Amino acid sequence: MLTLKNVTKTYRHSDGDVYALRDIDLTIGAGDFITVTGGSGSGKTTLLLCMAGLMRPTSGTITFGDRKIETATDKELSAYRSKHIGFVMQSFALIPYLTAIENVMLPLAVPGAGRTDQVSAATDLLQLVGLENRRNHLPRELSAGQQQRVAVARAMINEPSLILADEPTGNLDPALSGEIMQLFTEINKQRGVTIVMVTHSPAAAAYGNRNIRLAEGRILAGA
Amino acid sequence: MRKPSVKGLSVGRLIRIEFRQRRTQMISGLLAITLGIAVIVAIRSISLVSEKAVAINLDNLGANVLVLPQGATVDNYYTADIDAPTLPEEYAETIATSDLTGVDNMSPKLTRRVNVNGEKIVLTGILPKNELVSKPIWKRSGLFGKGLKASCGPSPLNESHGYKDEKLQRKSIEALAEYDCLVGATAAQKLHLKENSNLTIEGKSFRVEKVLPETGTVDDDRVFAHLHTVQRLLGIGSQVSAIEIMGCCNAITDGLLSKLRNILPDTRVTTIGQIVSTQVQTNKLMKKLSVVFLIIIVFVGAVSIGNSMWANVNERKKEIGTLRMIGFPKTSVYRMILTKAMVLGLAGGVLGYAIGSMAAMWLGPEFAGIEVSPTLMLLPASVALSTAVAAIGAAIPAYFAGRIEPFDNMQEN
Repeated sequence: MLTLKNVTKTYRHSDGDVYALRDIDLTIGAGDFITVTGGSGSGKTTLLLCMAGLMRPTSGTITFGDRKIETATDKELSAYRSKHIGFVMQSFALIPYLTAIENVMLPLAVPGAGRTDQVSAATDLLQLVGLENRRNHLPRELSAGQQQRVAVARAMINEPSLILADEPTGNLDPALSGEIMQLFTEINKQRGVTIVMVTHSPAAAAYGNRNIRLAEGRILAGA
Repeated sequence: MRKPSVKGLSVGRLIRIEFRQRRTQMISGLLAITLGIAVIVAIRSISLVSEKAVAINLDNLGANVLVLPQGATVDNYYTADIDAPTLPEEYAETIATSDLTGVDNMSPKLTRRVNVNGEKIVLTGILPKNELVSKPIWKRSGLFGKGLKASCGPSPLNESHGYKDEKLQRKSIEALAEYDCLVGATAAQKLHLKENSNLTIEGKSFRVEKVLPETGTVDDDRVFAHLHTVQRLLGIGSQVSAIEIMGCCNAITDGLLSKLRNILPDTRVTTIGQIVSTQVQTNKLMKKLSVVFLIIIVFVGAVSIGNSMWANVNERKKEIGTLRMIGFPKTSVYRMILTKAMVLGLAGGVLGYAIGSMAAMWLGPEFAGIEVSPTLMLLPASVALSTAVAAIGAAIPAYFAGRIEPFDNMQEN
């Protein structure tokens, strides 16, 4: 599904180039639930950004199906994210003035998303995450765990083949973390959605079927 | 919690929701542009009427172009020398039927110094307006019957203003019977004349139709009678001393005089320099003032809207990052910011026009002593200006908004 070959990402610095990723070779298959772990500055988020087409690698190739990501235009990358990728972030990244259901529908407002049954699709997903009765609540009226569940529903609305999650349990207590990880497992197993999740938490990492460990931009294990 | 009715999302609805949710910020942006447009609409509404009033006042200075016989001087014309040369009256018709533009009004005149009740006064033969209008060929030329038009004033569009001030109406003689006359204020005093008095000129008895109010010009010493009566009385035939022309000062600077000389080669065409230069100077000053106000308002409006949008973009960096992350292309983000600014501009234009017009209607009579009515043509201009200013002001913040990358959302803690 997603293949990274010799992906290197460097940042320019006055002291010389800083390597965020070095020669990453990675193949992600359909239906995988991959967790990415590593210390701070190990390159986890950079890896996710490159997979999402939000950052271009300095060298190497990233292929999604037969589509080259590293050379695509902004319009092509936007379409790639809109159609194939769902995102779940540590800070939830909800729009504060949109209700829960509007936040879930947001990816469908992207020009060209072209889905007409926005409300019923979003209602179904809110039902899936157990928040149907909170659909008209603003994010500030929801608990952290509820906000993250709204974010998971939003990640599912465009029926993506791949969900990229960056520390999705980072702001949640262990009980809520468990609920969210349970949700990811269901989505992965029942809907066949591939998940790549960056996490610091060994407990969260245990939910994946494959773990990739990064250190100083290199894959130590799990490639 | 908002109302439970749920509708699908689109970019337009996103903008509407944001307007609703960020009322304070949007209202301050809207206020900035509304006030800017209101100021310019008020100033422009008052200045349009002022320009018209000034133009009519300038017209009242009299004709600004004289067509004289070849050998005559302006002095000959004003002193009304007995031997002063003349030119054919039909030359007026030649001008009227030509394709000349910029001739607002025209008056053929015959002036001669005559003896009236023992006093030497200047008798001036004039054609009353009703006679000029009654000539079909002149009518076709469109020179007459168009109503009052200011020679150096604003374009005909501004006539919709409905400006009315009788004190400023140009003096025109509507009708004059064969042996009726009009007497200037000084001449009436000298000859002890009042309305309906009789006086004898060159052996013919005339009735005083009206004593003209004092103007402080040579007209105060004159007696005016019908041109054709004066021609017969003096045995001059169809000849006139001069043709006075009210030329648009823009047309004068654009070569009206040389065009007149081409049409009437055996005449002397001259301007009354002081009048023309006053008209041109005033016209230039009014235009400059309008341009200065326009520049100020464009600058202030663009900076206000730009500032408001910049604050909006800065405050929404994370949101914009989220939009980019879930698939909004840069161009969509750019368009969203621009659309928001343009909607503010559009609303600000309409509101600004309404407030500015009301302010002008109140301030005009209060401070400038002139009646001002709303100028409808300023509405599309206000809307176009405010929308353009808003778009210009928002262009840079929108550009930077389009370049926001969603990294912040992915690099917490």
